[in-house]
Amino acid sequence: MVLTDGKGGVDVAIDKNQVCQFIGYDDNHKLSARISSLVDDYAKNAQGLINPLYSYVVKDVEWARGSIAFIEDSIIFKSEVIVQLLERCRHVAIFVVTIGKYLEETAWKLARDGLILQATVLDAVGSDAVEKAAGRVEERIREMARSERLVISRRFSPGYCDWNIGQQRMLFHALTGDTLGVRLTAECLMIPQKSISGIIGIGTADSNVENYNPCQFCNKQDCPGRRLDNQE
Amino acid sequence: MPENMIDQIRENVIQGRVSSDDEGMEEGMAGQPGVTELVEQALESGVPIRDIVSKGLSGGMDIVGKKFEAGEYFIPDMLASAEAVGAAMDILQPRLAKSGIKTKGTVIVATVKDDLHDIGKNIVTILLRGAGYVVKDLGNNIDTQVIVDAVRDEKPEFLGLSALLTSTMARMEDVIRSLEENGLREQGKIIIGGAPVSDEFARSIGADGYGADGFQAVAVVEALTAEET
Repeated sequence: MVLTDGKGGVDVAIDKNQVCQFIGYDDNHKLSARISSLVDDYAKNAQGLINPLYSYVVKDVEWARGSIAFIEDSIIFKSEVIVQLLERCRHVAIFVVTIGKYLEETAWKLARDGLILQATVLDAVGSDAVEKAAGRVEERIREMARSERLVISRRFSPGYCDWNIGQQRMLFHALTGDTLGVRLTAECLMIPQKSISGIIGIGTADSNVENYNPCQFCNKQDCPGRRLDNQE
Repeated sequence: MPENMIDQIRENVIQGRVSSDDEGMEEGMAGQPGVTELVEQALESGVPIRDIVSKGLSGGMDIVGKKFEAGEYFIPDMLASAEAVGAAMDILQPRLAKSGIKTKGTVIVATVKDDLHDIGKNIVTILLRGAGYVVKDLGNNIDTQVIVDAVRDEKPEFLGLSALLTSTMARMEDVIRSLEENGLREQGKIIIGGAPVSDEFARSIGADGYGADGFQAVAVVEALTAEET
């Protein structure tokens, strides 16, 4: 396989508008001067608290049927939504990204000291940073796939749709130790929390894998992970 | 003069300004005294603590709540105001007992064992403090036994439990059962919150209330407090 595994660091730029959405503002609301300056300060200073890293492996999809997908190296994913993705794919990229532990430790300390607003803003900055880092990794995988005339899907993570969060263990097993210091709790939550793990399907141009969106056929209108057609 | 000070305290609560370092809703307010400085000045001037609390701090939060309901304020604006009130209460707390003013009660909050999410719990914490409650936050991923011990030691009027995962929400029932086994269930009211839980779930596990969000959680605590008095 010419598609190769990858590991390294990425730069991320914090998006103030996105941070404001994470803390509860809608697009049309004018920020108060206090919140605006707080977001600016934390977005600027957060760069010293984050260390965005990524690691991914690319595996062959051996077969996918019903609710089971069998991946190279005895990796098994159990989910109808994921099978419907992977049955269109030749390969799958399995990834983890993290911004490290320092930002969330700082947010915890702020909260412990009663500075909840500041902790909330810093947490939102971290959420934006890790989303941006995941987006950068997705771009790298897209470029790699494009060089082989392949296309990629959106990101999918355990814990969403019918993909049980317990499958994080299989995902981390697939990463064969390159998990960047990210570990799983008994409930399969990641520590540092500002980490994202998941898969990206890789298929031929005629597979239409880039347009696969299970949300189109799902009635859970209030699902926090719901993605419209024009969203990543 | 005292009324003017109360007005200023109320206005700065509405502006969400803890101290003179803070901007308010509009630019240009940094450098002017914030809620903590104004409360100190009011105390030095002999303004009754009861007036500072009821007319200044609570009066300001009432207006903030109305602005939130009207869609004029968003969650961070509420947090800023609640934080200003919480900081003022820290100054006033040692003097409240001497003034014969009782706090509304003590609330212990915790995110249950194996659940690491604490933003929602933190928001509830600051809003409860803003509403005049003394809040002891145990943190996240808290063992059932630690929660039970805290209830035994602190004797709170309320216990707030948070969980964000379907796999950890069952721990809330474990806490309630454990409180029952230790003869502590009647110590205080129990409210729960978090994405996977509901009013129906709260009733099914024997909790006294459910808050869909931070503001509703405070409303439930206030309603239960009113029932008790």
